[in-house]
Amino acid sequence: MQERIAFYEDMKAYNQLFELLSGGIFRFTCSLVKSREVAEEIVSDVFIKIWQIRERLPEIENLKVYLYTIARNFSLNYITKHYKNTMISLEELDVEAVIELNGPAEMCISADLIQQIRRIIRQLPPQCQLIFQLVKEEGLKYKEVAAVLDISPLTVRNQLAIAVRKIGEALPTYLQSGFTVINRFSHS
Amino acid sequence: MYMQEDQIKQEERFWLLVSLRLACEATPEELAELEAYLVQRPEMGVRMEMLHGLWESRPADARRGGALNRHLQRLSNHLSSPALNYETAVPHEEEEEVKMVSTGPSRWVHRILWPALGIAAAIIVVFLFVGEQEPRGEAVRTAQNTVSTKPGSKSKIQLPDGSQVWLNADSRITYDENFRGPFRQVQITGEAYFDIAKDKDHPFIIHANSIDVKVLGTSLNIRSYNNEKKTEAVLIRGSIEVTLQSSPDKKIILQPNEKLVVQNGKAMMIIKDTLKRQKETAVPVMTLAKAHLQDKDSTAMDILWVKNQLAFDKETLEDVARKIERWYDVKVTITDARLKHTEYSAVFEDESLRQVMEALRMTGNFRYIINKKEITITP
Repeated sequence: MQERIAFYEDMKAYNQLFELLSGGIFRFTCSLVKSREVAEEIVSDVFIKIWQIRERLPEIENLKVYLYTIARNFSLNYITKHYKNTMISLEELDVEAVIELNGPAEMCISADLIQQIRRIIRQLPPQCQLIFQLVKEEGLKYKEVAAVLDISPLTVRNQLAIAVRKIGEALPTYLQSGFTVINRFSHS
Repeated sequence: MYMQEDQIKQEERFWLLVSLRLACEATPEELAELEAYLVQRPEMGVRMEMLHGLWESRPADARRGGALNRHLQRLSNHLSSPALNYETAVPHEEEEEVKMVSTGPSRWVHRILWPALGIAAAIIVVFLFVGEQEPRGEAVRTAQNTVSTKPGSKSKIQLPDGSQVWLNADSRITYDENFRGPFRQVQITGEAYFDIAKDKDHPFIIHANSIDVKVLGTSLNIRSYNNEKKTEAVLIRGSIEVTLQSSPDKKIILQPNEKLVVQNGKAMMIIKDTLKRQKETAVPVMTLAKAHLQDKDSTAMDILWVKNQLAFDKETLEDVARKIERWYDVKVTITDARLKHTEYSAVFEDESLRQVMEALRMTGNFRYIINKKEITITP
């Protein structure tokens, strides 16, 4: 796809790339700038940038990481320009992770419990929230998250474990109607 | 005591293993270790499975539909900004534009007059109208200012950048309160005349029904009433670039005194002059023509309203009625269908409703009754 955009100026490939990755980048940007409108503009800027540098796309090793990284930089620039006046880093940033939580119906997870989990996620440190979002929602590998957030893969691994533990500990250790689930589990 | 610490460590290890498994980063050894742990602590398995269920829920696209279209619109605006160096419409910029369309317009496109180039290419591209007419700027980042006029009244406002806008009756303009960002953007419903302050670094974009108009510093008239079938743009001075919302990667550049008329929400596109040969019966979706100038001082008919003159320029009685409704805040009913299509041209200045109606009656062949705010036109 990268090559098709670069060599043939292939609009179709470019549109596919947008459809494929812009949703995730939009959510990531939303978490940082906390405005859907601004996020949409930033995502658009990211893809404009990609079009501008299309000849160089084949040199980029991991386009996904590259796109998320530009989105991160654009978001930080935006925040620096509009709110603070000093340069800020990701760790200082107050983020709001965009996480989807809908257990399958058979799980019988109550709305209360979902609310409680949301609260737990919101109370996680900003970096931890972002890591959780990028791994769970966008399916990024540890290495990719590390590159996007400019931290070590080990930090990603540890932070994700913390997020998972905090959420896991809020879950009940029994299920009201969880027979099928337990069965399924015992085979795995 | 030791037991407890041990257990905490064990549980931390367990959650680490679970997180590795969820992220698909676990090694076979780690998975085996997890299995072994679960044999000892089956109740933790319930939690893990629940977490797994939550983990699997995939996010829906949180954006409004048409994100790609909106992006392509911005991309094309961006690519074209060098071409907007005022009065220097650069043909080769546009040729590059055409290349972007993978279908590749056939040779005849290049023979057509250059302003028609964008339109012609657009014909090829737009075969199905994509009715992207959602209101823009819904979730508001900054406060939105809205100025609106009622039927029977007009208004003139100054935007934060110094641009002046005359708002005709029953119209509305919306813009960001602080008017910052790379673009100066306004949304218009109804009719407005713009005299836009020059600012090369911040293109001015007018969003109307069906079209977006991008300008640097110029004056133009936009007519885009929701209850009318068409949207019109007339350029008075300078240069503007019009984008059809249904075909965001195509642009039409207008020269002074040119008028672009776009039918709102149509599927086919035919241009009056260039494609006359084709026997299409549909109403043209878009026409580009010279604006009609008034004889005495060659002002475009379309902007006479700014000078408080009520003008009809070969308009059907139906359109005339609609204008009168807005101008005088009345309701006009035409009882006969044939009457609706008769055409009128006239200019009125400071005349009462009765004088206007009387003049129309004398040229046309109809009768009318004025009952307070209701006018009925009969054969």
